[in-house]
Amino acid sequence: MQKAQRQHAGLNAFGPGAQALFHGVLGLFALLCILPFAFVIVISFTSEDSIRQIGYSFAPLSWSTQAYGYVFALGGALWRSYFNSFLITVVGTLLSVSICVLYSYPLYRKDFRYRGFFNFLSFFTMIFGGGLVPTFVVCKTLLGLSDNYAALIVPLLFSPFNVIVMRTFFQTTVPGELIEAATIDGAGEYRTLLQVVLPVVKPGIATIALLNALAFWNEWFLSLLYITKNMDVIPLQYLLMRMQRNADFLAKNAGMLGADAAKAARNLPSQSLKMALVVFIVVPIACAYPFFQRYVVAGLTVGSVKG
Amino acid sequence: MKKLLALILALAMILVASSFALAEDLPTITIMFHGSNVTDDTAVLEAVNAYIADKVGAKLEVIWGTWGDFDEKATNALLSGDAGVDMVFTCSWSADEYNTYAKNGYFVKLDDLIAEYGADLVAAIPESLMQAATIDGAEGMGVYAVNGFKDTATQNTWDVNVTLLNELGYTLDDFKAMSFYDFGELFAKAKEVKGDAFYPFLVEPMVLERMVTGSVIITGDSGSTNLLSLYLNQDDVSADGPEGNVLLNKFGTEEYRKFVDKMHEYYEAGYVDPSLAVAETSNDTRTNAQKTGEYLIGTQSYAYGYEYSPDVLGRGIEVAFVPCTEPYVDTTAAQGAMMAISTASEHPVESFKFLALLNSDPTLMTLMNYGVEGIHYTLDDNGLVVFDADARATYSPWTNGVGNVTILPDTADEGAGFREAFKAYYASAKAIPAAGFAFDNSEVANEMAALGTVAAQYALALDAGALDPETTLPDFLAALDAAGMQTYLDAANAQLSAFMAAK
Repeated sequence: MQKAQRQHAGLNAFGPGAQALFHGVLGLFALLCILPFAFVIVISFTSEDSIRQIGYSFAPLSWSTQAYGYVFALGGALWRSYFNSFLITVVGTLLSVSICVLYSYPLYRKDFRYRGFFNFLSFFTMIFGGGLVPTFVVCKTLLGLSDNYAALIVPLLFSPFNVIVMRTFFQTTVPGELIEAATIDGAGEYRTLLQVVLPVVKPGIATIALLNALAFWNEWFLSLLYITKNMDVIPLQYLLMRMQRNADFLAKNAGMLGADAAKAARNLPSQSLKMALVVFIVVPIACAYPFFQRYVVAGLTVGSVKG
Repeated sequence: MKKLLALILALAMILVASSFALAEDLPTITIMFHGSNVTDDTAVLEAVNAYIADKVGAKLEVIWGTWGDFDEKATNALLSGDAGVDMVFTCSWSADEYNTYAKNGYFVKLDDLIAEYGADLVAAIPESLMQAATIDGAEGMGVYAVNGFKDTATQNTWDVNVTLLNELGYTLDDFKAMSFYDFGELFAKAKEVKGDAFYPFLVEPMVLERMVTGSVIITGDSGSTNLLSLYLNQDDVSADGPEGNVLLNKFGTEEYRKFVDKMHEYYEAGYVDPSLAVAETSNDTRTNAQKTGEYLIGTQSYAYGYEYSPDVLGRGIEVAFVPCTEPYVDTTAAQGAMMAISTASEHPVESFKFLALLNSDPTLMTLMNYGVEGIHYTLDDNGLVVFDADARATYSPWTNGVGNVTILPDTADEGAGFREAFKAYYASAKAIPAAGFAFDNSEVANEMAALGTVAAQYALALDAGALDPETTLPDFLAALDAAGMQTYLDAANAQLSAFMAAK
């Protein structure tokens, strides 16, 4: 048996030389992916003096944990926004995945009469958007999305792209016969969806969940738009972006603001502090990847029709 | 009987409810500032609201806009007609640019309100500032924002590291006798003494260009990279410049060519840090080198008293600011920080009363700007303000963005009499002939966008000396011409001549 397996594998295997080459190329590629992040970590531990003298470098003149000292000194605001990032991501992902599945499932069902209309309704928004100011008016004035968690979650809840991905996933993995069989066995619509269909499309859901989680985790623009007074609800990403944007603005307008710009620039955080915050932001989502990956990979290999 | 009882009870309930409502009846007005660094305003707002309840008849709420988020927040609030923002910062350089937004009807015309409630305000700020704010807006000529009394004149200076200058064997007077074109020998010497890795010339390239060629910023010109030059009379800023009141293509003049040629020479000789020529790193590099005093000569757009600020005192070297010209009043400086009332506001009267009080009442201005005495600052034996560093870190509005800074008390850093001297310094500043002119770029907005993109590609690197003018300047000028420079210039000049004629 073992021998047969080896022979079988041998049929498709490359020679040792080619193997080494592929491993080398792919390894290099993987390294290139990791390198920027490693660089960020190195910079976050670089002393300000070193950055000032030789800029960013993998081999700084001196090391320092000062940046992390600053991060922890941010204290309440930091942990609060860190907590907010998690809260927004978890709640947002749960809600948006539910909405996505509940919207795309009927679109997949051929016996749903208004399929065309709802398909169009969702697809239309991918091509035509209302623009920033009208969106702002609807969200803030009409829906009251301002200075609260809802403002950071609701605008991102529905993604037409995800609906299309999910619908296609239903179409390719759930054969119509499965639904028919469930119906014949006496399952109602809810039971069919929850107990028969959902287990089959787990990989699809994981993919959507990953996309959504990333979108919520990286979101900062909504905070910029809708959070004006209540800074208790902002996520960590916005805290970082605010520092970055302050620096950019002062750089652009230094000539116009003159002495004021120089004074304000003094209050800006150091380069290493920004990188330390990036580390804080990247680590949790990087840790979440392997869990989703299991399903995403499974999604690629598991088909409904197996040969 | 039961009915009557029910009626009485119902009436009683309404009365009780309405009396509660009366107690809570003060309307809330909201103000949006620019450039703030505020994380805790509880104590300040408590004190402010207690102070203004009778005087203004409203309760204040504040949106502490930061440098990075103000533009989006302000334009969204105005464009969407958000009644939740009553007062908003505006000026000649923010996204909600004063002239444009007033013309398009986003700001309340204040003339009637000034006549009725603004006597103190008019007394507190100079006539010239009122004049600078008087423009042709949506409802005709008038004042559309309360103009803050701050450093209302522009003055560019050389920022000189005197400690190093003396070390090189020069005095400050030697330096004052030099011009930009003579700096070479200083830089060469500095390189000799401080080593090859030292960059003696620390500049904001675009500011340097204006300093050397003697040109001013035109309000309404392409924001990130200016395209228009109006040349000053450097001996008497209130007289017409060498070219008269004509706007020129900044990059097409002989003065510009002469400047970039010299700058390229300095750059090639290693006097300028290469990272100053890159937009992303230019400001960081400059701030870092200033902090540590690692430069010989820099540029600084100056405000009176800057030498007493912690950022200059903390450099560990002796610094002198040597002016290129006397201070001059142009539109950019005269409309540098203003506060407008949004036309979407439901409480314009209360808002105006608040702004008038803020700009004329030292108690309120000090509260808003410096915080609460005993929490954010204390007064020393001479009555000077000494900040509590920790509390100040949680409450630092952008001083000049709040309003009339001349009614603030002196701080211990600035010394007694500082504000009086500040006031006198700017009161004596002369206006350039074209002061008050703002270019309405709406008819050439497309050209401006295209030109801005072209200029962003070349201007900073040319000004910093990183590009060779011999080869790149002709390309740059050709690209500008192709992007519609002439149309842009014609539109600007037509407006300027009309403005000068009306004046």
